[in-house]
Amino acid sequence: MFSSFLNLLTDPILQSSSLGSMLMCFSSSLIGVLVLLRKRSLIGETLSHASFPGIILSSALVDACCSSSQEWRAIPILLGSAISALIGFKMLEFLENQLKVKTDSALCFVLASFFGFGILMASHLQQIAPVTYQEALIFVYGQAATMTSLHVLLYGGFAVLTLGFILYFYRYLEAVIFDPVFAETLGIRSKKIDHVLFLLIVVAIVIGIRCVGIVLMAGMLIAPAVAAKPLTKSLSSFLVFSAFFGVVSAFVGNYLSVVTFHEKYSLPTGPMILLIASGFAVGSLLFSSKNGVVGRHLRARRFRLQCAIENALKKIWKEGIDRSPLDHKMRKRLYRLGWINREGLTLQGREKAEKIVRLHRLWEVYLVDYLGQRVDRVHQTAEELEHLILPGLEKDLTIFLKNPLNDPHHQKIPPVKGVYEEGPR
Amino acid sequence: MNPYWNQDFFGFFVVLFSRLIGKISHEDLFTDEIQMLVLSGVAISTVTLGNFLTMRKMTMLANSLSHTTLLGIVLSYILLLHFHTHLGMCLHLTPSIFLLAALFSAVLTTFCTEFARNRLKLQEDASIGLVFTTLFALGIILVTLFTRNSHIGVEVITGNSDALHVADIKMVWGVTAITLLFTALFFRHWILITFDENLALFLGVPVKGLHYLMMFLTALTLISAFRAAGILLVLSFIVGPPLIARLWSHKLFCVISLSLGFGVLFSILGVAVSRFCLSVYGLSFSTGAIVVTLIAMGYAISVLLTFRSSKGLLLNNKGATSA
Repeated sequence: MFSSFLNLLTDPILQSSSLGSMLMCFSSSLIGVLVLLRKRSLIGETLSHASFPGIILSSALVDACCSSSQEWRAIPILLGSAISALIGFKMLEFLENQLKVKTDSALCFVLASFFGFGILMASHLQQIAPVTYQEALIFVYGQAATMTSLHVLLYGGFAVLTLGFILYFYRYLEAVIFDPVFAETLGIRSKKIDHVLFLLIVVAIVIGIRCVGIVLMAGMLIAPAVAAKPLTKSLSSFLVFSAFFGVVSAFVGNYLSVVTFHEKYSLPTGPMILLIASGFAVGSLLFSSKNGVVGRHLRARRFRLQCAIENALKKIWKEGIDRSPLDHKMRKRLYRLGWINREGLTLQGREKAEKIVRLHRLWEVYLVDYLGQRVDRVHQTAEELEHLILPGLEKDLTIFLKNPLNDPHHQKIPPVKGVYEEGPR
Repeated sequence: MNPYWNQDFFGFFVVLFSRLIGKISHEDLFTDEIQMLVLSGVAISTVTLGNFLTMRKMTMLANSLSHTTLLGIVLSYILLLHFHTHLGMCLHLTPSIFLLAALFSAVLTTFCTEFARNRLKLQEDASIGLVFTTLFALGIILVTLFTRNSHIGVEVITGNSDALHVADIKMVWGVTAITLLFTALFFRHWILITFDENLALFLGVPVKGLHYLMMFLTALTLISAFRAAGILLVLSFIVGPPLIARLWSHKLFCVISLSLGFGVLFSILGVAVSRFCLSVYGLSFSTGAIVVTLIAMGYAISVLLTFRSSKGLLLNNKGATSA
């Protein structure tokens, strides 16, 4: 198992495909963070489709000019697709800013038109040069397996370029993304930073489509960033986590597609990488401690349990342990907390229960005296408020209410040990 | 013998009109005519939906549907294979697969996107992008596992309009009829949702249900156009004609009828241009791609003609004088 992991990095055939896709995922997941923060995630989808006519045109041109070395064809094709994607981006800007087309319509229209034009040329290319056509089609669904060391070098160069840009402009990017107005007052020309940013998106896409394909490129930009977002609080850690998820999913995706290799078919690499990355994304959205769905659910459950325990404790305090029917589970829980024993409440339990009752009655005083609620209505509200725990809440409430002795129902409020000095009686 | 054979652009229309004046029976439709009928059918249903989709800012959702139909089709195949083992692994679309696939993809896409947005608190653009790419990747992997072949042709994207036959006309126009029927039934509701969703909620209109209905109809149209026109053409029809029509007019009914007209016009022109390229220059282009390119060109021309007059040129002025 471990040796086959290593194989992926040392085996001369597997090496370039796995390294290439890792580098590609590295740069796309870095850029993905910036795109996600600018709320332009879908631009990846449009620009990757917009690069298609460039791919077809440049492969046809390369085919016409020189038919010799296969390997170097990657460079002009890369250039062609970048130019075509840039034209697509300009079109998008023109549609949105000059013609006031809504963003989604503009994205969809540029996508369909450019891709359609590409397909138009491709259908002709199919007739005149079937081999070139097949090679150009690699870009639609991606093919990591046929990458060479030249690709790795190229992608490595672009990955370094991307990283360099982000490091060099880090402060500016931070300002432009989080507070464009503030950035403007600092004299940062956010337009310029934006332009360079979109240039980098084009670069990331152009590198990426060889590996995961035009169709899945948008996901490669989004998924690692989405996975990283709930785990981070600053831009720098966001970038680091996103790059980590990107590289790991590239490696695992490659590994799975190599492992499942079969005589007739193998699981395609691009989709595997994307599935792993979006698995990370969904997992982190679900399970991240603070904002995740599971976390929220757990917190709610814990709170409900705490309420149940406190209510049980209160009942014992009021009516004695013999009169309050406790189910087995709750009894066990209270034992374990050390709040009851066979005879009744322990000292700790009594203290705890008195504290809850005190809070309940204090809230009732507050609701009646200060908010003017009717006396017979406040019990239910106080029943819920008593479970709120904020540090110092009881003390503040006591001082605010001037340490009352009785609640609105003329019941005694359990006193605290050591009366707060500040509160006059 | 196909009378359109070796005709140039104008000759094509001469033949078309002479055929229209004469009797065309159900049996002796030629390839070009079948193409025109199928493409216009696709155009009518997609443009109708496209008007609402563009107004509701849902076109990228339609785009994600166009990707997830793959998963829908694969899933419905697996489901049907489970019940009828005699079906075999050939990939031709029967109506039952068709409806199931549309249902699967529409419900899956809409549900997952809404779930990511509302429950997982993901921003809208990211949730759309994440969901459709993931579902598409899942679709590709399932196809690879079940057909033991990782090659998915580009036919899915562009369609193959040369392999159409009369049965396709029935299918496409059937879907068009369904779309038009539902649009006619829920026209007022959709308009209400589009322009004032809160009022719709207040009046007790089932906003969610109508949203799902729209997505289902879009998925149905996408799948019906799968063979004939390809996914890409449908996307282009969804945004293109409504955008063009909106350059020329600002009135709802004008925009809808104009865009329908443009849709049909472009599909007929597309077939004519395709024939023209083939017979005069000997170039064979994919008809669907030609229509997409024509729509883009039509938009560019419309922009040039209407630029700098903030209102539309023709229809809106008339509307302004009558109002």
